[in-house]
Amino acid sequence: MVTKEQVKHLGWLSRLELSDQELDRYTAQIEEIIRYLDKLDSIPLEDIEPIYITKKFTDLRKDKAELFSSNPLGTKYRKNGFVKGPRMA
Amino acid sequence: MAAARNDGWMVKIGLEIHCQLTGLKSKLFCQCSSDYRGMEPNANTCPVCAGLPGTLPLLNEKAVELAGMISLAFGCKIPDRIMFYRKNYFYPDLPKDFQITQYNAYGVSSIGAEGKLEYIPGAGSGADTGGKTARIRRVQLEEDPGRLVYETGSMESSPFALIDYNRAGMPLVEIVTEPDFIDPRDVRIFLNKITSIVEHLGACDTSLEGSVRCDANVSVRGGNRVEIKNVSSFKEVEKALTYEIARQKAKSDREIQVRSETRHWDDARKVTKESRTKEEEQDYRYFPEPDIPSIALGQEFLSAIQSLTPELPDDRKARFVSSYGLSPHVAQVLIDNKQLADFFESCAKINRSPKEIANLIVTDLMGLVGDDKKDSGAIFAGLKIRPAHIAELAGLVDRGVINRNTAKQILGQIVKTGEMPSEVANKTGASMIQDADSLSKAVQEVFRSEQAAVQDAKKNPNASNFLLGKVMQLTKGRASPKAALELINKKLKEEQARPD
Amino acid sequence: MGDLYRLTASQITSGVRNRDFSAEEYICEILDRIEKVEPKVNAFVTVNKEQALNQARILDRWIRDGGNVGPLAGVAVSIKDNICTKGIRTTCGSNMLREYVPPYDATVVTKLQNSGAIIVGKTNLDEFAMGSTTEFSAYGPTRNPWDISRVPGGSSGGSAASVAAQECAVSLGSDTGGSVRCPASFCSIVGIKPTYGLVSRYGLVSYANSLEQISPMGRTVSDAALVLDLISGPDEKDHTTTATPAIRTTGGDIGTGADADKRGLRVGLIKELTAGADAEVSRIVYGAFDLLSSHDCSCTEVSLNAVDYALASYYTIATAEASSNLARYDNLRYGFDMDPEGYEWNTYFAKARSNFGPEAKRRIIVGSYVLSSGYYGKYYLKAQKVRALLKQELKSLYKDYDVLIAPTMPILPFKIGERVEDPLKMYLADVDTVIANLAGIPAMSVPAGFSAGFGVGVQIMADEFKEQTMLQAAQIVESGAGVNRSPDL
Ligand SMILES: [Mg+2]
Ligand SMILES: [Zn+2]
Repeated sequence: MVTKEQVKHLGWLSRLELSDQELDRYTAQIEEIIRYLDKLDSIPLEDIEPIYITKKFTDLRKDKAELFSSNPLGTKYRKNGFVKGPRMA
Repeated sequence: MAAARNDGWMVKIGLEIHCQLTGLKSKLFCQCSSDYRGMEPNANTCPVCAGLPGTLPLLNEKAVELAGMISLAFGCKIPDRIMFYRKNYFYPDLPKDFQITQYNAYGVSSIGAEGKLEYIPGAGSGADTGGKTARIRRVQLEEDPGRLVYETGSMESSPFALIDYNRAGMPLVEIVTEPDFIDPRDVRIFLNKITSIVEHLGACDTSLEGSVRCDANVSVRGGNRVEIKNVSSFKEVEKALTYEIARQKAKSDREIQVRSETRHWDDARKVTKESRTKEEEQDYRYFPEPDIPSIALGQEFLSAIQSLTPELPDDRKARFVSSYGLSPHVAQVLIDNKQLADFFESCAKINRSPKEIANLIVTDLMGLVGDDKKDSGAIFAGLKIRPAHIAELAGLVDRGVINRNTAKQILGQIVKTGEMPSEVANKTGASMIQDADSLSKAVQEVFRSEQAAVQDAKKNPNASNFLLGKVMQLTKGRASPKAALELINKKLKEEQARPD
Repeated sequence: MGDLYRLTASQITSGVRNRDFSAEEYICEILDRIEKVEPKVNAFVTVNKEQALNQARILDRWIRDGGNVGPLAGVAVSIKDNICTKGIRTTCGSNMLREYVPPYDATVVTKLQNSGAIIVGKTNLDEFAMGSTTEFSAYGPTRNPWDISRVPGGSSGGSAASVAAQECAVSLGSDTGGSVRCPASFCSIVGIKPTYGLVSRYGLVSYANSLEQISPMGRTVSDAALVLDLISGPDEKDHTTTATPAIRTTGGDIGTGADADKRGLRVGLIKELTAGADAEVSRIVYGAFDLLSSHDCSCTEVSLNAVDYALASYYTIATAEASSNLARYDNLRYGFDMDPEGYEWNTYFAKARSNFGPEAKRRIIVGSYVLSSGYYGKYYLKAQKVRALLKQELKSLYKDYDVLIAPTMPILPFKIGERVEDPLKMYLADVDTVIANLAGIPAMSVPAGFSAGFGVGVQIMADEFKEQTMLQAAQIVESGAGVNRSPDL
């Protein structure tokens, strides 16, 4: 059972502001979706190992520095080169 | 400091140490420079480290190598393949609002696991009988976040934060120990050993501000664990732990349960303070980073990093003892700080008086280093001292031109002025009085004024040391102790031969 | 002239190269066409008019001066708006990125531009590619060019509609769980999801990284194959690309030199998927099956057991990855106009992020749920194991079969708004397509027939890096199905 409290907590972890109506609606829909995903419980998987793509360490990026040609930070809220952020306390 | 002993309090301290891999040229996942210090805010960013949509992390090969070397140095096992995970939490200094790190809860993915490191506790810590061991739980590679600054200087009073992402994506090696420490003083010694190792590996320049950071967790009597963050130096780590242990004991004495929480060290007030936490551990929603394949390491990697590993502190210490004839204690002090050990070897190359050089460094020069700099890579910051100084000074002592006491005085002066020791010695006439005339004058003078002691010394040869002390006093320490003692003994014999 | 906009990519390039018409004439016609049909279709979020015309003029001058031109010279392409284009805003169909202009090009965009293609615009999509209808866009729904009351499929609905409505010759979409094949089927065009790792994802805004590939779309198999050829190959900016030689489709002409192989193709029809589809759909799939048979392919019905669990596996992995990918949209470094000063940081983040649409929010929460501590083993890990199982099963099938066929979509295009409030029902329609994404194998949708005025695509899947074989089968279906009609607009 997915509870409204759970959805609220997950909403907080994802920093989503959810109205009461949204909470009600999502709780019902997410309950239905999660129940569908529970299908995964009905297949024996003990002997199966997940597959991950593998690369050799020598195929990784070489340690070379190169400055990016332009400013990647698009925000206009800046001060003395810093990006302006919200209040932390 | 009985408080720190394991006298039934079952103090348990574990450490989480972050070392920036400043020895690299580029960041962990992009080509921005790892040398971000002193740059204009946000000048060292690119689409990847700024977390722009559509960008992908590109793992730095050399970062994996250095982290592998660190793991080996800590006696860790290196798995056949490593993986990266995402640790999901929001924070304004975190460009992607998740951190790419490693994680072992779903199977070992970190570059190092299950190591251990021996260290020699300081004198008086109650374990003078040899080394102690701390187990290393894991060594992992991860990215540093950016940095927040506040215009008013404080977080509380600033209506907004200023964000600099120059540091974001800096490669970090996180070293996590088991809770194997019981004494905050051991922690400081252990941390020095760790920094010495990463310095020797060329992985981290620990003289750079913030390149090594340490969080600690501590519990007493099996109670809840408290994390201590925001500690600026190893000395402060020791203080913070001492404070926190006392705080927890006081609670425990009054049967108040210690809360499991994160506390910040208040550097000004020297207390730990409650701090609002970000996410709790169970809320990080770790999962394998899909943009970085698992990396196959194997024997080829092991051979590669073994061949890249230079001499490490323990081997260097053994060499200092065997080739320079230093005592294990002196050698230990030297290798605990790579700068110090390097300095010693530079001196020893100029002048072949390694023992005298080591003495001058360990006892006299270290006495002039501020307490705040002792643990740092910038140990001689502010002192005008070069290897040539110490080499020459040791030579003067060895040749008997000056005595050790004078050497200490001269050292005190040259670290301020940068003059050569011989110049100072000549200018102040500090050379030892060795000529027989001046010395015998001084001895005669003492024999006149210290009649009683002379009588005493005739019967008891040990008492001649008192007379020597008086001679030294009279000559303001410039008498050659050896020559003076010879004269004193000669004169005593003469006196004995004379009937009373 | 007046109907240059109908030409295929190879016709355009040869026309421009031989100076039968100029790139500028052609692009002008395309822009006129866009202006004419856009009010009905809404395939584009941004039309790149000025730049496109400029590029066409530069190309014409270059050709006049005797310069060599690339294999897509002058061809109008549209790009799904989750693929970064330097200097052209890239919204991902979201309000979060309403004003976002990337400072860099996706690798595929650079490759297309280097081969002479002209980007005429950025196409509409479900927000951050999450959806199967292109209704979940902050820029309004895209409509199916064959019947504008119906969905075009999604999430690359804008790309599919722009190709079907002849607003461009070819398009780049992205396929995470069928996002290119679904709208290709609904809009009666060709869409190819390549092997995972064949095409660079650098510059593709991530929805579910381990599943998705940038995928070409065109009105013919050879057009789509031509684009695939140009965008594939390892990229040092994407660690997940594989150092396998690019698929050579020899300028889009797949048949050349491969005729002999074509005779002997061994084709398996996946029973479970065909049985689960609407009767009309399954009729057309069997039609394609017979057609292949009559072209000397050996055709057999086969079983794929893991299909029952594929969808649950897919939605677990996709939402997990998405919940994390979408975290970075906190509006501090880029985004829309909202001054952070004065806000407490958590409040600012939550407020800014409330601009996500409903489907994005749902998937973020579902993804957070399945990754929650204690649930990892129950959902995420099992989903990965199902994936491995599916891969195993397919590997063994591909020992005996060159290609597998199935419906692309089990249903015909439905009315706009019909499924918006029933997410699970919408997810269930992806059952046929997610298999290829989970297994990392190539898959494509090719028009195979019409039902009630709508094209129905058949899906062809091959083993990893066997795009060439898959394309051969697709050409047989294409040649026999006689579906080269275009919608009345
Ligand atoms: Mg860490
Ligand atoms: Zn960067």
